[in-house]
Amino acid sequence: MRTEELKYSLMNLMHRKTRSMLTVLSIVIGMMAVFALVSFGLGIQRYVDELKNTAGADKLYVQAKGTGAPGTDLNFYISKDDANFIEKIKGVSEIVSMYAKPAEIFFKDQKRYTYLISMDPKKIDFIMETSNNIKVIKGRQLKNGDIDKAVIGYNFLFDNKVFKKALNLGDKILVNGKNFQIIGFVSEVGNPQDDAQIYITNEAFETLHPEYKDKFSYSIIKSEKGVDPQELADKITEKLRKFKNQKEGQEDFFVMTFADAIAIFGNIINIINSVLFLIAFVSVIVASVNIMNTMYTAVLERTQEIGVMKAIGARNSDIRTIFLFESGFLGMIGGILGVFLGYLVASTGGLIAASSGYASLRPIFPVTLILGCIFFAVLIGGLSGLFPAIQASKLKPVEALRYE
Amino acid sequence: MIRDYVKLAFQNLSHRRVRSWLTMIGIFIGIASVISLIGLGEGLRYAITSQFGFLGTDMLSVQASGLSYAGPPGAGAVSPLSDTLIDKIQKINGVETAFNRYISSVKLEFNDRQDISYLGSVPLKNDRKIIEKMLNLKTSQGRLLKDEDNRRVMIGSGLIKKEVFGKEINAGDRILLNGISFEVIGILEKKGSFIIDSIIFINENVLLDIQGDDGTTDIIAVKVKDVNNIERVKNDIEKLLRKERNVKEGEEDFSVQSPQKTLETLSSALFAVQLFVYIIAGISLVVGGIGIMNTMYTAVLERTKEIGIMKAIGARNSTIFILFSFESGFLGMVGGIIGILIGLSLAYGLAFVGSMALGSNLIQAQVSPFLVIWTLAFSFILGTGFGVLPAYRAAKMQPVNALRSK
Repeated sequence: MRTEELKYSLMNLMHRKTRSMLTVLSIVIGMMAVFALVSFGLGIQRYVDELKNTAGADKLYVQAKGTGAPGTDLNFYISKDDANFIEKIKGVSEIVSMYAKPAEIFFKDQKRYTYLISMDPKKIDFIMETSNNIKVIKGRQLKNGDIDKAVIGYNFLFDNKVFKKALNLGDKILVNGKNFQIIGFVSEVGNPQDDAQIYITNEAFETLHPEYKDKFSYSIIKSEKGVDPQELADKITEKLRKFKNQKEGQEDFFVMTFADAIAIFGNIINIINSVLFLIAFVSVIVASVNIMNTMYTAVLERTQEIGVMKAIGARNSDIRTIFLFESGFLGMIGGILGVFLGYLVASTGGLIAASSGYASLRPIFPVTLILGCIFFAVLIGGLSGLFPAIQASKLKPVEALRYE
Repeated sequence: MIRDYVKLAFQNLSHRRVRSWLTMIGIFIGIASVISLIGLGEGLRYAITSQFGFLGTDMLSVQASGLSYAGPPGAGAVSPLSDTLIDKIQKINGVETAFNRYISSVKLEFNDRQDISYLGSVPLKNDRKIIEKMLNLKTSQGRLLKDEDNRRVMIGSGLIKKEVFGKEINAGDRILLNGISFEVIGILEKKGSFIIDSIIFINENVLLDIQGDDGTTDIIAVKVKDVNNIERVKNDIEKLLRKERNVKEGEEDFSVQSPQKTLETLSSALFAVQLFVYIIAGISLVVGGIGIMNTMYTAVLERTKEIGIMKAIGARNSTIFILFSFESGFLGMVGGIIGILIGLSLAYGLAFVGSMALGSNLIQAQVSPFLVIWTLAFSFILGTGFGVLPAYRAAKMQPVNALRSK
């Protein structure tokens, strides 16, 4: 494309300023919505991948089948015998079983409901590693003999997140009717439920709820190096089934690899996000119809001009290039502005999500996404301008000159 | 007069046919997506809320507080309700009756296969009639439970599934519940409600017999004598429970809810989600509106001379303004009509395909005539709204300048 063609195109766009601006505006709005949604989708995707690769690669968990959340249903559980049996299966390097139960907590006459989780202090590192790599960021971790001490979630560190006032080390809270002293806070998981959990030792839990003794809510298993977690899951299912004298298809428990569990979660999020993306994409289609409209009008208005250009020797391809460039340019400007505004919208949205406790809902803006969106906008612009440009290039010089 | 405006607007639009169509395409894509999304969203909301709809307006439910995301009613409760409370509640003035409902999970075996399901209790004697009426229980096979039925259950239509058990469960078949054999005395009619369709109903005494009575219950259902007194009865129950459970006002660890209230809470949560989707869909309408504005600016520019002539022969500013507003409104409305037609077929088509593919009656379309009329009006307003600036520019033109323009 020669410089004079380029200059001519730009001048034309400048000349019909209002119309160009409105066309660009419609692309901007569409691209903004698309960009913001995709950046959230990618952010969640990355969060899920990180979970899968760091914490979960060699982990599995065993849970009793049941109808509610873990620990709400005492009819089904993992017994101590079950856990001991699993530990001896070849390929299992470590197993830890936990109690979980909804809890009512009191602090200074304020009441909240949350989850109480218990753990074996000897296996604390293993548990923390499986829970999104959380660690104690203030105070200390639980240890054996901590019968009236608790480590609590990240959100307790702040005013107005769980309680009106932030909690401090040494504060006492009432958990299901018993006083616990706070000895530590763990780092952020990224959602309000998990970040308000209370952790105590197994021993403390069994004292608090003797009816739960040896009826674990779930167990987490670490596979030995070089063992495929999926194969191990099948093996555990088969052996535990025989151990419990249950027929195939009649197990009252299930074994799942962490990777699978996370993938299911990731899939759901992906489906929701693609639906939203499709809805937002409708506005891009409408915007492309607008570009087409603007270009048809431009061709019509400049029929005589096109005739003149052709008469002094412009080829069909020259005319086509000029008009294609014009529509592509509209798309590009719209794309750039749309990405910029989309960035603002998404980062504001991310901040709002983080401040309401969903820190895992964080948009990311890789360069490929930014360039991809702009390129996509140019493509949409070019495609929308294709038919008008072809129509313009096919005009007969004589008729075009005569047109008014 | 009006007829002239309409005729002129229509003529002008059909003159520049390609452009008018393209502008309207923008609008009807937008309207169609909004209509179909609202239709499906309302359908989903209707389907979900109708699951609660059978609860009578004269009923109250009492539950212990706890985690709301933990599962079936009562599952997330921290300190469950005592099952002797009903005697005291029954003594409250204005209460017709109160009964316990126990809900627990159970292992259901049939044809050598198993599934985990819910077991829900049915109270005895007169209370049985109330719950039968409240849930509108009817059987499609066999009969309803009676007081003397021991080791017999009736099951929801969602549980007879062939996929799970290899063959369908029929009335008269024997099933194992946590290893104990029961006769299926009746299969309930499909209600489209998970509260009924996926529950195994069992007499209260039998349930307590096989599961053991720990003195707690999951829900207490209360029927009031007179609906007008429901608020007072609710307050009295709260007062009683505060005393019984030794908690101060404002610190209740239980809740007394009327079905209406539950419905409203649920509805508003769903509505928030819907609203977000509508906003995203609404963006395409704004983009379509910008398209109208663009077309109208172009039209004003093209017809500058015409405007000059009209003004010269006596047209007032308001006439020109109305003329152009009509044109853009027309674009909006025709786009709206076509959009509504496409949206309706899309919504019902998707709902049909969806419910066929998933076999779930949660997917259905619900488009009210009100929504159609509202959308039509909206598209006209959208058209005129985005046409205001171009029409204003046309109206403000100086006749002399307009006539002089090329």
